[in-house]
Amino acid sequence: MSTIPHAELDSLLARLAEGDRAAFTGVFQLLWQPVLRLCTSMLKNEADAADAAQQALEKVLVRCSDYDRNRPALPWALAIAAWECRTIARKRTRRRELSEDAAPELGSDSENELAHRELVSAAIAALGELSTEDREVLVATFWEEAASVTGATLRKRRERALKRLRDTFKRLYGLA
Amino acid sequence: MDSLDLARIERRARLKYERSRVQRAVLGFAPSLVVVAVAALANKHSSATVGFGAAMFFVGVALLWYGRELRRAVLPGLAMGLLPLTLALCANHLGHACMGEHCLSLCIPACTIGGLGAGIGVSLVGLRWKQGLAFWAGAATLSLLTGAMGCSCVGYTGIAGMVLGFGLGLVPGLVRRVKGVS
Repeated sequence: MSTIPHAELDSLLARLAEGDRAAFTGVFQLLWQPVLRLCTSMLKNEADAADAAQQALEKVLVRCSDYDRNRPALPWALAIAAWECRTIARKRTRRRELSEDAAPELGSDSENELAHRELVSAAIAALGELSTEDREVLVATFWEEAASVTGATLRKRRERALKRLRDTFKRLYGLA
Repeated sequence: MDSLDLARIERRARLKYERSRVQRAVLGFAPSLVVVAVAALANKHSSATVGFGAAMFFVGVALLWYGRELRRAVLPGLAMGLLPLTLALCANHLGHACMGEHCLSLCIPACTIGGLGAGIGVSLVGLRWKQGLAFWAGAATLSLLTGAMGCSCVGYTGIAGMVLGFGLGLVPGLVRRVKGVS
């Protein structure tokens, strides 16, 4: 896993937000791999992940004027990517529900795969209900290089974010 | 994902980035249309006012879209341009000052004084914010176009008066800025 030069990314994104087009390629190149990896790990499907990464990166670049230069760029960008993955996962679930109506017969492997995907979709949906800060912390938790804080601070924030994620999951699906 | 695909994705992302900047610039500068509408309603020469207003809107959007120093020039440029615009619109309603048989339209002195104030204002902001020449050029253009909406009250003479006043107000600060840099 390559390491991201955080300071360079922060500075490039701040410049791009100001309208410095020379920073565009740098931001794109620094963000592409982490965003693609996040999408792949969330969606478990290379084709969907590539689409999601492309759309997520476009969203990040479109919204870069909103970027707060006092905050680290990578968690901010990955939180947007996670949201995009959630949207794609939801669409995929909806598509699958439609196709299930058309063909209800499935083998046990397919059922397991379906159950796994549904669980992932549910987790992503619950993640989407959290605040941007909580999402950033959870993304940072499972994506160590994206952490803007470390040590006790990260642990404390992670605990709180996980508690809120559990509560949200419980509220949405009635189980934890 | 090969490099050819990445190049295509980057081009697409760049296009969307530029499109979003244009949208934000149009939305961000849209409130200035209220100024154009008020000026057009208050000015007798509304076609000239609308013409300068359209130019002012286009320039404002372009500055916001481009960003960096030019974006920072938008607010001071517009705010300083309101000075000659307001004075010209007021003078336009007061009409003429007559001394004996000689009458003079108040619009020309109002535009000159307003232009002078706007030039001094832009130069003070430029010096205080330590901005480069792009800022000065952007703020001056926007300020002059905003003022011109009102100063078209007596044709191009009013605009010439404003430009003269603006130049007189701006040049000392600009010289200080250029000397300070070199």
